[in-house]
Amino acid sequence: MSDVTATHSTAKVTVSPEEFAFVKYDATEIATIVAELAEQLGIANPIRVVVDETTPLAKVYEEIDAASSDATITLHAESGALEDRKHPMSFSPTGARESLGRILLRAHDRMRTDFADAPGDLDLTLEQNAAWDTYCAGRLARMGVETNQQRWRYNHRNRFGFNDDVDEMFDRLWSSDDLGWADVASGG
Amino acid sequence: MRQFFPVEDLARDERFVQTNMAERMKDGRTAIDVEKTSSAKSRGASKRLTPDRHDASDAARGLMHGIMVGEIQALEGAGRTAHDFATGDGTNDTVPFELKLDMARQAWDEARHVEISAKLSDWMGTELGEFAENTVLFEAACSNDPILRLAGVNRALEGLAIDVFTQMKEFGDIAGDPYLEFCEDWMLADEVTHVKMGSDWLRKVTANDPDRRTKALEFQQVVDKLFSFGGARGESEESSFSLAKRFRELAGFTDDEVDTISQMDHEALEERKEAVRKYRERVGADA
Repeated sequence: MSDVTATHSTAKVTVSPEEFAFVKYDATEIATIVAELAEQLGIANPIRVVVDETTPLAKVYEEIDAASSDATITLHAESGALEDRKHPMSFSPTGARESLGRILLRAHDRMRTDFADAPGDLDLTLEQNAAWDTYCAGRLARMGVETNQQRWRYNHRNRFGFNDDVDEMFDRLWSSDDLGWADVASGG
Repeated sequence: MRQFFPVEDLARDERFVQTNMAERMKDGRTAIDVEKTSSAKSRGASKRLTPDRHDASDAARGLMHGIMVGEIQALEGAGRTAHDFATGDGTNDTVPFELKLDMARQAWDEARHVEISAKLSDWMGTELGEFAENTVLFEAACSNDPILRLAGVNRALEGLAIDVFTQMKEFGDIAGDPYLEFCEDWMLADEVTHVKMGSDWLRKVTANDPDRRTKALEFQQVVDKLFSFGGARGESEESSFSLAKRFRELAGFTDDEVDTISQMDHEALEERKEAVRKYRERVGADA
């Protein structure tokens, strides 16, 4: 595995693979975007970005060694999460900011003591995953990252139902900034 | 008015970016677990488009956008077939007037489907043109023989629409999305009619010309295989949607024809897997 390091922020960001064979992505560009996001969020932890370029699917998830400022954050992304949907196999900086920003926010949340009970990303239920995505996407939008609110509203409705109560829950999570895991899991 | 319109000249605004099947097949990535090594939590054991997929809403949005651009091209194709050929008895590249009327009715249906699909895309959080538009559908409507168009578009393409709409209707039903389920159900009813038109006219116009019928059915098989998108349609859990056998029966397909399509879907999936394996070997060798 080869790594690329970006020096835009105090966070050391490495990306693998260094060279992409299946898609036209640039590891340095990805590292730069993650470093900028980390700077915005005040994250100084070392960050690893691991891209699975063999699949066009778009799953993203994060792992963190420990809830401390020197723990390594690992962001996993299937290539579709960083892809320009108009030009398949090409990189989308906008899409990458949105996908990687969302899971970087999760990693940021996990450093709070009131997220200690949150299951690992791969152990979340579909509903827990959707609620946390809504909470992260709303904050990303307020950070200035291009985000389509209706896309996330539809995702949220698919998990919780198509009715007014669910929409109110979505609005609460979307507009919140300082929730603990229990709040996120219960819908804000 | 101009006749026989090439795919390169389709009118689109700046939101749309077009691609074709040859470009899509250059993509060496696949959602299919070719080597059977990925964890179930990552790629998942089933590719079927159901709400319990981790990426369900995004997968549904992508398919809905594909449906919308497909409806635009189906409108363009039916309109061309109503206009491109002289009125006659069906011989010498003429078409019966009643066939033109059916194509005009289909164009009207497709225009309504475009509007419905655009509104559904908006409801699902998709921008028009957000995904690349594959023009393979209109390409099937560019034959100089109107009967080949009916075989390629009405029977193969609209047949695919039956399969996709059935899956999307089920998705909306299970997810509890009232608009998606309702709209797909109504559009599905139209698609069954469009396929039936193709089946009926194919038999009627070629009643005394078995060679032309054979050629048309062969063309349909080629298009059917192309439209199976490398195994996207099939009975396997690795396929996103299945063959809607009951609705195809209602649309005039015989049991033998359904079995043939099912077999071609399976072959397309296996061919795609083999192509991906070879691509990976080549990329591995180059890396």
